[in-house]
Amino acid sequence: MNVLEARGVSASYGDTQVLREISFTVKKGLLVALLGANGAGKTTTLKSICGLVRPSAGTVRYDGRVISGLPVHKVAELGITLVPEGRQLFPKMTVEENLVAGSYLKKAKEKRKENLDRAYAVFPRLAERRTQMAETLSGGEQQMVAIGRGLMQSPDLIMFDEPSLGLSPLLVEEVFRVMRMLHEQGLTIFLVEQNVRQTLRIADYCYVMENGRIVQEGNGRDLESDPRVREAYLGF
Amino acid sequence: MELLPQALMDGIMLGAIYIIIAIGFSLVYGVMHVIDFAVGEWIMLGAFAGFYLTEWTHVEPMLLLPGVFVVFAAAGYLFQPLIHRVLSGHRGNPLLMGLVFTFGLGLMFRGLAQTFFGFYSHSIPSRFSNGSFFLQGGGFSTTVSSVRLAGLVYALAITGILHYLLKHTDFGLGVRALAQNRDAAGLMGVDNKRTSAFVYGIYVGISAMTGVLIGMILSLSAKMGPDFTIFAFFVVVLAGMGYLAGVPAAAFLLGIIQSFFLIYLDPGYTLLAVFAILYTILLVSPRGLFGKGV
Repeated sequence: MNVLEARGVSASYGDTQVLREISFTVKKGLLVALLGANGAGKTTTLKSICGLVRPSAGTVRYDGRVISGLPVHKVAELGITLVPEGRQLFPKMTVEENLVAGSYLKKAKEKRKENLDRAYAVFPRLAERRTQMAETLSGGEQQMVAIGRGLMQSPDLIMFDEPSLGLSPLLVEEVFRVMRMLHEQGLTIFLVEQNVRQTLRIADYCYVMENGRIVQEGNGRDLESDPRVREAYLGF
Repeated sequence: MELLPQALMDGIMLGAIYIIIAIGFSLVYGVMHVIDFAVGEWIMLGAFAGFYLTEWTHVEPMLLLPGVFVVFAAAGYLFQPLIHRVLSGHRGNPLLMGLVFTFGLGLMFRGLAQTFFGFYSHSIPSRFSNGSFFLQGGGFSTTVSSVRLAGLVYALAITGILHYLLKHTDFGLGVRALAQNRDAAGLMGVDNKRTSAFVYGIYVGISAMTGVLIGMILSLSAKMGPDFTIFAFFVVVLAGMGYLAGVPAAAFLLGIIQSFFLIYLDPGYTLLAVFAILYTILLVSPRGLFGKGV
């Protein structure tokens, strides 16, 4: 079953077209990755799914329902969560307030206590810093808060925008471990990454973007052995 | 020396009124990114509503406050989408657009009020206006009129309620989330338009109630608005734009400066002094008294 389906989606910022008729599907329970260099349009793809960017053409469907054009909070109500690039925390809130903000919507509110315990179980570091202001955390800790806040939303589909960006190798491992764990628990994941090697290893299916177009797709093993991908992204 | 406690008490009470005006002003700036130059006119309209309601019904104005709040909050809630439209069109510099729009709105309200309510100053008669308390201690003594004391209690109550609303409810969580990161708040499911309309409604309601109170303690007239707009702006800038926790200190400072000028020096120089102090502080600390503003 397709959970998320994009058909011919285009988007522009002013006169600059960023997405050119891209199409992809994310099936229920899978971890699907979107790879590509800086400026390929990966972040815009995510933004046009969650309502932060309005596509100029094409449709995005979720569970068969058209969601392109909905305001961002309506998309969130459907159970779609984005862990945005650059964390986007609430800087003047504590760690715990940031997490609780994730459970703002009614559906998530009912599970607030349970999800909070789960977030602290996944990232014990956050439990130690629960009363600390988000802006005073290190980059890695902020990323943990961002992921924890996403989980607080009790999502059906969670999207990560470059979660390993700017993290130390050890923390990159940690972030990938968490994503693999969520995947094993059956959560549907759409992952945007530049860390190609690690991503190919955990993804069920991958799309590759270049200049606003999807230029290649396939499962991780196929892409890993594809000479073009090897040359462009893996460097050998 | 006899006047010192009096000046201090007056300053504290004025400051308490400035706190509630400035908190609403600051909240609207934080959530909607609008510097609302019509704040003084909302106060003026509230004051006139209180004045006429008291004249017609002969009810104690203090008891009219909740009704004034409800009516003006509803007006603000319904009015906010218009401001939202002005800001979210494809016009450059939304901050400036908001400023110009609300400035024009203020002018229009003032003009209409002068046409319909006349140019005279009034005051709202209240049972509290007659009574007063005599405070004594440590060799000082002062009298406090009960209407001013009621004003202080009102200001503290409103500040307390707003604090509770912002810090301990999910609505407040959404408001703070919007103020701190609008996109991320949307991703959490916070409805920007609806929440902003509620915030604007609450702010207009509080400003109008405060207007009634000012009409009881001081006076009201169709051209009272700009003074309060200037004072709200002063307090918010001094506190640091968007830094709510700094508002009380800045408001009390303004209240005390003002009452000292009224009592010891020439009241005509109050604004001059207020701005001299504002500029001096901003020269030393451009992000407000506490260095925590935007």
